[in-house]
Amino acid sequence: MTMRCADCLPMIDALVDHELPPEEERELRAHIERCVDCARELALVVDVSRAAREGLVRHQAPDVLKARIRAAVSGATGADESAGDEPVARSRRRSYIRLAAAGVLIAAASSALTFAALRHGATESTESELLASHIRSLMPGHLTDVASTNQHQVKPWFNGRLDLSPTVPNLDSLGFPLLGGRLDYVAGRRVAAVVYGRRQHVINVYSWPATSHESPRAAAAQGYNMEEWQAGNIEYWAVSDLNRPELDEFITRFRDVSGR
Amino acid sequence: MREADGLAGREHPVGEMAQQDIERFERVVLPHLDDAYTLARYVLRDEHDAQDVVQDAVLRALRHFAGYREGDARAWLLAIVRNCCHTWQRRHRVDRIGLSLGDEVDAVASDAAGTDAAAIQRSERALLERAVAALPPEFREVIVLREVQDLSYREISDVVGVPIGTVMSRLARARRRLTVALGAGVKEAG
Repeated sequence: MTMRCADCLPMIDALVDHELPPEEERELRAHIERCVDCARELALVVDVSRAAREGLVRHQAPDVLKARIRAAVSGATGADESAGDEPVARSRRRSYIRLAAAGVLIAAASSALTFAALRHGATESTESELLASHIRSLMPGHLTDVASTNQHQVKPWFNGRLDLSPTVPNLDSLGFPLLGGRLDYVAGRRVAAVVYGRRQHVINVYSWPATSHESPRAAAAQGYNMEEWQAGNIEYWAVSDLNRPELDEFITRFRDVSGR
Repeated sequence: MREADGLAGREHPVGEMAQQDIERFERVVLPHLDDAYTLARYVLRDEHDAQDVVQDAVLRALRHFAGYREGDARAWLLAIVRNCCHTWQRRHRVDRIGLSLGDEVDAVASDAAGTDAAAIQRSERALLERAVAALPPEFREVIVLREVQDLSYREISDVVGVPIGTVMSRLARARRRLTVALGAGVKEAG
């Protein structure tokens, strides 16, 4: 290889990256037409660049990480409860298009849940609605209405929005950080959803006044687990993609700390 | 939760930021969390470390948001993420050679039950991920910034803090190494 070609090497990369000034690009292309080595080099760079672009994974930040960051950022005002409210309202407006896509996913998940929940008969619709709500909450901007890691901001946020004041135990030291709360609509009623994280997983804890006394239930579909229990005339549902033992651990902690 | 190294701290970063600054930050910076996380994943090669570092980096960015005027917010955030990754690695004194990423991809590849074409594509990707993970850190970051994040040489130079000529030569050398690694992998497989 001549001295000239050694100089070409990083220039060939710049050519592939469209980073050469027009004059230099013309010169280099003219040289490559005459130089077999540099032509082969160009082909290799084009190939490896394409392979990297097509093959390397573009990761998505986990929802829990995003929620944690949003909560911390919106808390930076030093914050009264309204601080967490507004950014989410904005992001919701941006996210309606995504909801359409979510609908497809939810329809698929709901039909799968139908099989899982059939043995429970009439409760099937509650369970499929909870699963739909959980999946919807994972869409960008939908996880929390009040994003806060502070139970004393999350709990009062529900005042005036619901008849019930939801249970919001602090489980941070147990590895289940609080991410916030959300008002949701399940099985024909407004319900509280309190959101916890576990590594990259989200746990939604739904609660509403119990209408009948039933023994604890559990269901699973599409990799999601859900469990129900009742305490003090409140019906609770925990829904998550956590594995069953960890969800059980969460519920045990939740009930121990809150006494519910 | 990771040990209290200050990165995973959840305390509010700024006591009193103006609501309008926070809203601007949310509008301008937060849309780039996936890119921030992607860079951290490639640099640190560990998803949990990447999460901690990205959270720390974003809160740092918020604290220094007053210093950000105009320009590309994504490159600005990526520069902070990159610096936080390096700080984290210095503090933990690791650039792990364990290559957990490669192991994961192996597992995925060996699960391949689809068509032959899909299986081949998966194993090519696994080879590529391993080859990138095995690059020296200063080569790996320019490959990710260029090929995954599609940054210009000027932006890469700002993020990494080296002259454009250095970006150009690192990128060229990184690609030659990848070419060799991919070529060797293909021969092994064949």
